[in-house]
Amino acid sequence: MRKLQFFIPLALFLGLAVFLFSGLFSNPRDHGSALVTQPIPMFSLPELNEPTRLVTHQDLKGKVYLLNVWGTWCATCNAELGFLTKLRQQGINIIGLYYVQPADAAFGEKFEMAALQQEVARKLAEQGDPYQFNIVDEHRSLIFDLGVTGAPETFLVDAQGVIRHHLVGDINEQNWPELSAKYAALAAPVTSGGPHE
Amino acid sequence: MMVEAGHLALCLALALSVLLTVFPFVGAVRAQQQPILLARPIALLMFIATAFSFYALSYAFWVNDFSVYYVANNSNSMLPWYYRLTAVWGSHEGSMLFWVLILAGWIAAVAVGARQLPLLLHGRILGVLGLVAVGFNAFVLFMSNPFERTLPFYPVDGRDLNPLLQDFGMIIHPPMLYMGYVGFSICFAFAIAALLGGRFDSNWARWARPWTLAAWLFLTLGIMLGSWWAYNELGWGGWWFWDPVENASFMPWLVGTALLHSLAVTEKRGTFKSWTVLLAIAAFSLSLLGAFLVRSGVLVSVHSFAADPDRGLYLLAFLLVVVGGSLLLYALRMNAVRSQARYQLFSREVLLWSNNIFLLTATLVVFLGTLYPLVHKELGLGSISIGEPFFNQFFYYLTIPFALLLGVGPWVRWKQQQLHPLLAPLSYIAMIAVVIALGYQALAHDFAANLGLLGLLLGAWVAVSAVAETLLRIRQLGGGAAGLWKLPASHWGMTLGHLGFAVLVIGVAMTKTYSVEKDVRMKIGETVQFNQYSFTLSEVYPLKGPNYGGQAAELEVYENGEKVTHLHAEKRFYPVQQTVMTEAAVDAKLSRDLYVALGEELDGPSWALRIYVKPFVRWVWLGGILMALGALMALLDKRYRRKSVSEDPAHA
Repeated sequence: MRKLQFFIPLALFLGLAVFLFSGLFSNPRDHGSALVTQPIPMFSLPELNEPTRLVTHQDLKGKVYLLNVWGTWCATCNAELGFLTKLRQQGINIIGLYYVQPADAAFGEKFEMAALQQEVARKLAEQGDPYQFNIVDEHRSLIFDLGVTGAPETFLVDAQGVIRHHLVGDINEQNWPELSAKYAALAAPVTSGGPHE
Repeated sequence: MMVEAGHLALCLALALSVLLTVFPFVGAVRAQQQPILLARPIALLMFIATAFSFYALSYAFWVNDFSVYYVANNSNSMLPWYYRLTAVWGSHEGSMLFWVLILAGWIAAVAVGARQLPLLLHGRILGVLGLVAVGFNAFVLFMSNPFERTLPFYPVDGRDLNPLLQDFGMIIHPPMLYMGYVGFSICFAFAIAALLGGRFDSNWARWARPWTLAAWLFLTLGIMLGSWWAYNELGWGGWWFWDPVENASFMPWLVGTALLHSLAVTEKRGTFKSWTVLLAIAAFSLSLLGAFLVRSGVLVSVHSFAADPDRGLYLLAFLLVVVGGSLLLYALRMNAVRSQARYQLFSREVLLWSNNIFLLTATLVVFLGTLYPLVHKELGLGSISIGEPFFNQFFYYLTIPFALLLGVGPWVRWKQQQLHPLLAPLSYIAMIAVVIALGYQALAHDFAANLGLLGLLLGAWVAVSAVAETLLRIRQLGGGAAGLWKLPASHWGMTLGHLGFAVLVIGVAMTKTYSVEKDVRMKIGETVQFNQYSFTLSEVYPLKGPNYGGQAAELEVYENGEKVTHLHAEKRFYPVQQTVMTEAAVDAKLSRDLYVALGEELDGPSWALRIYVKPFVRWVWLGGILMALGALMALLDKRYRRKSVSEDPAHA
């Protein structure tokens, strides 16, 4: 027994090494969200350019789409717009979920839809517009339900409204092929109507 | 040409490190002196080769040689010369070269400075260090070579050094930290050499102690500098974030602290041997693990270098060889070693043992908090994150008993201590501590039973106990100046170290409890009132630095109508990297910091400013500095400089 106790540190270390090894081959930014395979949370939120129209989770059923969480205040999101616009041109459905930053009461700020519309329009004119439309989540309720930790994040949602993939960070040349394959697999049976529905 | 010469020198260093591994072990096996004696000059040559290689890379930065990838990616012709030189270790490749340089430096120091050791032990130590050097030299040369050229299409100008790193704190933070990390390789080599030889006497512990102290000293300073730098540069007034990489430096520190105390037992009482050896292995293993975590991209952190799985794989393999190998050796050899000393339950041995238990529990907390998310995910259980509350909670509960024991520890004798004689002095100390803590709180704040008060109590308890114990020892040594002089330097070291801990605890608890912050929007000439301070924004003007632009704000601070200070806060914009950086304005006093970070320009024109009043935050770093000073004092102790008589026949 006394002999064996001196092997404990070695055993612990070897156990750790296994995890370090497997950790090397997985992306630390890939969260493997708990929501994957779950239906998209219920919501009812205004559309940016037509705030009187409320978009709900029911409305989005029937087609495969990417739900892209973004904001004009987020530099990575802005950088991503160009690439996403190219995807739209290839017929990928992309819906924007606009992340409104908390208004700062200390500065006497309050949320104004008109100002946001202008701001977004200006940014999209500058960088390209990948979105079919944008949903504005003023109180970040859907964003909270989705477990978003920052922007940009993107959810791949199938025609039944089930989340199939959760990507933290931007979509780019490197990670698009993988996501693209998933998108194509989901979209194939239900031949989607392209971007101009 | 210079770059190629540096590259060549690095190859030479690798070859020399191979020789350094081979010769002493050949000598040990064949029982010949000559091969072992060769280890010293080889170690020195290796240092010279590595230093030249480092010089060559620095020279490439100095002359803006953008035909070198590493220079092109991390420097710019507009960068001031001093940041061009510190950019040498601003990114992965160069910092690894710097790491190797420091390793070679430590090895040379051991080759020259540890000559009083028995030849065989000295040779084995150098051999083990040679093996470590082979691993790192090969890593730099094959996996992260800083000398690669961009030829034939070299850029006209470089991509600039990350602006976060353009700061005085950043100039010295990595060197200190690396000195600490790499320094633990010396303790490690001592432990492995002893395992190979099978001899652990108190001599061995006495020889290992100063090297441990030196490494610990640098690591302490390195961590403190990093914390101070984050406070000034990140612009949100924090000084510790439980970031995975901070944790990676904190774990070796905790284990190193445990090792220092355990070595004391091994030296004085010849026991705790297997424990000490394990700690020496663990301290270096955790340093290596830290390097792996930072450089492999396994964890996400502000400190992460560009992730490259090949590098990660190499480091993991290295980790397996070094740590796995040494733990295997430990398992095979250690059960033959017996510790014979006897001691009672209430004795200094047991108290130091509990010190170790607490420090290792703390290490385990940090370890789990850092690595559990990785394990959780790799087990397929999904992603989790562990944040500040987890660490803070555990450290809160660990610090209380730890500090209480620390107040008692130095009073307790080796082997056996009667409880009786200690009751009187300890209760006096407790009373004085309570009076100080309650008195200060009642004077400075409204009296409140909170974390601040607890910190004051614990800090005062440790500090008063440390001072009283030292006074008692001085009196026992004859009192007055004579006693002061006779008290060994290592005792002063201990007292200072414990005082440092007390100061740190007070600083953390007080600044956690009484810091206040406010986000404000100000126009020029406007004043905001904040506690007893009023801040007036007097001027904002454009900034023109060598490689940055931006805005600077001037603020006047008044306390009850009297001018306290003038603050200068900057928001810099570095065009090459398109990065905005905050240079916080800080008015530092022992009792409080006034801290202002300049934010965005808003319509008006007005500016967003973030203002903090942080009481006692200086004490956090002061505590660290005191601990480091304690280590320095202990290092100066005479017994580490005494030459062994047998080695020095001329004076025998």
